[in-house]
Amino acid sequence: MSWNRASVVGAGLIKMGELFDQSYEQMAKGAFDAAVASVDRGFDPSLVDAVFVATQRGTLWGQEGIAGNTVTSAIGLSGVPSTRIENACPTGSDAFRIAAMAVASGAHEVVAVVGVEKMRDKSSEEGLLARAAGGHPIFTRGESAPVLFAPFATRHMHDYGTTREMLAAVAVKNHHNGTLDPYAHFRYEVTVDEVLASPPVCSPLHLLDCCPQTDGAAAIILTTPQRARDFTDTPVHVAGFGVATDHPYLHEKSTYVGLPVTTIASGRAYGMAGVGPADIDMAEVHDCFTITEILDIEDLGFVEKGKGGVATIEGETALDGRIPVNPSGGLLAKGHPIGATGVAQLTECWWQLRGQAGDRQVKVRNGFALQHNVGGRGSGVSVVNILTVNP
Amino acid sequence: MTQGGPSVAITGVGVGFPELRLERREVNGAWGRGGGRGVVAACGHDEDVLTLSWQAADSAIRAAGAQPAQIDGLWWGTCRPPFAEGPSGTYLAATLALRPDVAATVVAGSTCAGLDALVAARDAVAAGRAATALVVAAEDLRPALGGGLETATGSAAVAYVLVAGDGPATVGPPTSQWMPALDRYRGDGEAGTREAYDGRLIREEVFLPLLADLAKSLAADESTRWSLPDPDGRLGAVLARRLGAAELSSAPVAAALGDTGSAAAMLGAVGSFTAPGRTQVVGYGGGRATAVTCDVAAPVPGADLLAPLLDAGTNASYPEVLRARGQMRAQGETVEMAVPPGSAMFVRENPDLLGLRGARCTACGTVNTPPGVHPTCTACGADQFEDVALARTGTVVTFVVNQTMPAPFIAPLPLVVVDLDDGSRVQLQGLSSSAPGLRIGAPVEMVLRRYATERGVPVYGWKVALTEGRPT
Repeated sequence: MSWNRASVVGAGLIKMGELFDQSYEQMAKGAFDAAVASVDRGFDPSLVDAVFVATQRGTLWGQEGIAGNTVTSAIGLSGVPSTRIENACPTGSDAFRIAAMAVASGAHEVVAVVGVEKMRDKSSEEGLLARAAGGHPIFTRGESAPVLFAPFATRHMHDYGTTREMLAAVAVKNHHNGTLDPYAHFRYEVTVDEVLASPPVCSPLHLLDCCPQTDGAAAIILTTPQRARDFTDTPVHVAGFGVATDHPYLHEKSTYVGLPVTTIASGRAYGMAGVGPADIDMAEVHDCFTITEILDIEDLGFVEKGKGGVATIEGETALDGRIPVNPSGGLLAKGHPIGATGVAQLTECWWQLRGQAGDRQVKVRNGFALQHNVGGRGSGVSVVNILTVNP
Repeated sequence: MTQGGPSVAITGVGVGFPELRLERREVNGAWGRGGGRGVVAACGHDEDVLTLSWQAADSAIRAAGAQPAQIDGLWWGTCRPPFAEGPSGTYLAATLALRPDVAATVVAGSTCAGLDALVAARDAVAAGRAATALVVAAEDLRPALGGGLETATGSAAVAYVLVAGDGPATVGPPTSQWMPALDRYRGDGEAGTREAYDGRLIREEVFLPLLADLAKSLAADESTRWSLPDPDGRLGAVLARRLGAAELSSAPVAAALGDTGSAAAMLGAVGSFTAPGRTQVVGYGGGRATAVTCDVAAPVPGADLLAPLLDAGTNASYPEVLRARGQMRAQGETVEMAVPPGSAMFVRENPDLLGLRGARCTACGTVNTPPGVHPTCTACGADQFEDVALARTGTVVTFVVNQTMPAPFIAPLPLVVVDLDDGSRVQLQGLSSSAPGLRIGAPVEMVLRRYATERGVPVYGWKVALTEGRPT
């Protein structure tokens, strides 16, 4: 039996992109309004009795000390309890998980999760790339975001014969999916040759192996399964979730061909939901880089370890494949506004499970969707949420 | 001439040469001048006088078959210590893992500093104050732009291990002579060293008379080898003719690297240490000439490495060298290190960072690095550790190469996960020059490099270098 003690009754996001014309606050309001508008029987925002704000890196837009109140003020709910959550790349998915627990505990009946991130208000050099100068002054110096994942590509290629063409197949698939997603940052096709010929960023990863820096926001409204019936006939329930951690330095990894945190987190989520990988109809997984999706689909149990590249080239993860992965376009095409990313992935799962995903709709057989993020120093945090339409 | 006291032997030598070679012709061309033959040696972006000195000293200690803990004293001569005022001597001691009571005495002030350091070390051994002494002479000038020093000065370091008694070579007491004359100069607040007087004036009125006078007092015959100063690529040969010096052991070094300043005298002698005979080692700088006599009975360990290392190096463009020296900078702000050099973190962690230390779990034996951020063993969860030195060699587990980076980083910038030969594992930057050859399983060594110059302060740590193809 699935956990099913919290239910999604509304979800929405804003068009992702370089949103130079929108403030953090405007993006938050845009996403929250979209979630409110999505509720089948209408929704009065004053029903929200707690807000969980997912923002990973306020420093990127010059707000080092943001707290939950920035968002409640922006969405017209000043006075309502609000807490900001930060947990690296899984920030949005972890805020969702905590919101679900807040509902299940009985402490709050109706909560909103608002994920919002400004990635482009600072130049790349001063923004995300400055990460290469952060952390330990020697042991992590030069550790840009691709450095967290590219060593796994080096080793995966060495140990399993994974090729750059297999990595490129992830980008080709997700960019194709992105052309079908009106909210995606990038809405154009790429070819394997284009990925291979794109400029090298962090060998063996090239530019089109990397997700963009994207401004964006997404929001979800959660309530109890009982109360959900007031808002919709087709709520989506939280079937299970799992979190795991690993040591924060790259040299402390037990393996460089997988991320055990993902396996542990998903094991916990599968157990809670009472399902296995074969029961999942579609997955939104963390494809910050092409190699990451290959690691993910192996670590989540969708394909055998070492076979992620071959499975991708053979179309197993395409929209009409055995296990569609990242129908939204993923981080590679839809974008990766960090705090919003997990919330946006969950929004895609909500659409897919309810049959509202338009041209990119996948076939829902068992009623389960999986959402996954991994990140943080040493990619040492993974969060997996499983949603279901089954009561 | 003073009496030298007991005999002092040289038991090992080592050299440290920088990565880059700069063609004189290219520098001259940039300033609208013609001509210029040969190259000078220049530091890469992560090298400087400390990293060259560590390389030379580490090599000399190994060549001598000594252990760092045996070193009773360290003398370090250079015009330009890594910190104009700061912990230069303790940083060098930390990177060499010397005993806590042994830090470097820094001798500076002019290019005579190298021989001054050698004399001080020799005197300490002769006096019985140090059974084993290490002397390092190094130069990494920042020459003033557009001046003659740009095509003259070359960066390098050299080190000798000295012990009381006999050995493959002995070093005698000094002979010295001076006149108060200003040749090259750098004042407070000046980044670059410049020529203060006309070159011919220095040549005719200071350099040649002073050195010729000094040399007359030295015992020499036709078989004597000479290490002579050569500040401009010509004066060395002129001086040799005046002295009737047939064998100029310093000439190949000057030809390969340029005028290595404080390092020149000791470095120029190393080539003669491979065969028995007498070598007169003459240094010059700041209006002073000093000489010591080395008598070689048998090849000095480490001396044979000089020739192959002189042939190494990578040709670099003038802008690349200017950028490496900090004389050409990108506009706008660069990315600052999250931890400023004044942070308590550096006080806490410097001994571990500079000494490349690890924390070995007393329960399971796993080495946790860096120790300061690991109060709990990553492998077994125990919390008792012993401080250990990490192995300096290992193999590549996995790696990446950053191909594009914001200033102040310089790409290609590898990051490498290494299994060290003692079973510990580290993640560190790799040398840019190692980027093309990196592969899983490749043998590597840890080398000291400058990671950053942060808010004006140099920050040092270890990097991963491929060992394949390197002279050993």
